[in-house]
Amino acid sequence: MEPTPLCHHEFPILGRAYFLGGRASTSVKRVLGEVGVDPEVIQRICVACYEAEMNVVLHARSGHITLEVWDDRVEVAVVDQGPGIENITLALQPGWSSASEEARSLGFGAGMGLPNIRAQADDMQLDSVKGQGATMHLVFRREAAADE
Amino acid sequence: MVPALSQEAELGGCFVADLMSDVLAFAREGSLLLTGLTTDQTIRTAAVKRLTAVVVIQGKQIGSDMIEAARDEGIPIYRTPLSKYEACGLLMQAGLRPYRKGVTCLQ
Repeated sequence: MEPTPLCHHEFPILGRAYFLGGRASTSVKRVLGEVGVDPEVIQRICVACYEAEMNVVLHARSGHITLEVWDDRVEVAVVDQGPGIENITLALQPGWSSASEEARSLGFGAGMGLPNIRAQADDMQLDSVKGQGATMHLVFRREAAADE
Repeated sequence: MVPALSQEAELGGCFVADLMSDVLAFAREGSLLLTGLTTDQTIRTAAVKRLTAVVVIQGKQIGSDMIEAARDEGIPIYRTPLSKYEACGLLMQAGLRPYRKGVTCLQ
């Protein structure tokens, strides 16, 4: 039999809906709390989700966060339909940004999003097709990280 | 602006930023956040990082969106006419040290 996760949730994200930015991540936080994931792990996941969610809000037309909780890990996928990331290596560099003034006025868009996400997750895979969108897969181990 | 649910909240330090990515990356749980950013993103960020309260500097206008988000998330908001620099100085003078445990809330 195929292994199944303890729970599976999907949260939609609406592009350009600045005032909704952070709602999906708030839902992620609630669900993880209910399942009994360690608070420190929840915080790492939520920081990554929030940054990823803001990326979708600021750059893409639409997207969603998929959350799967397993015994030993939490897997997060953030998928969007949008312009995609032209140069992933460049985008991962701290301080590199293609964000608008509007993004900056919301307290984001300083080029720290992807580096922040990478610092929180135990594994990060980022793929993109230009003109179609971006896909991010994150893995968080459920035991609390030894170093902070 | 939005009162605290409890007067006994303990502050584990203070973090000052307008850039929410910095708060997400560096702020510690239980800190006070001093900021000039008055959007509901400030509150959502504070909630994700489990910060104790938000202080808006420079007497900036706080919109109903931000207040509503603060009520939802249970994050108290305070507002000061002081500049960020002066507010930091006063808090530091009053004994609020950066990221040291056991420092209690100031009156």
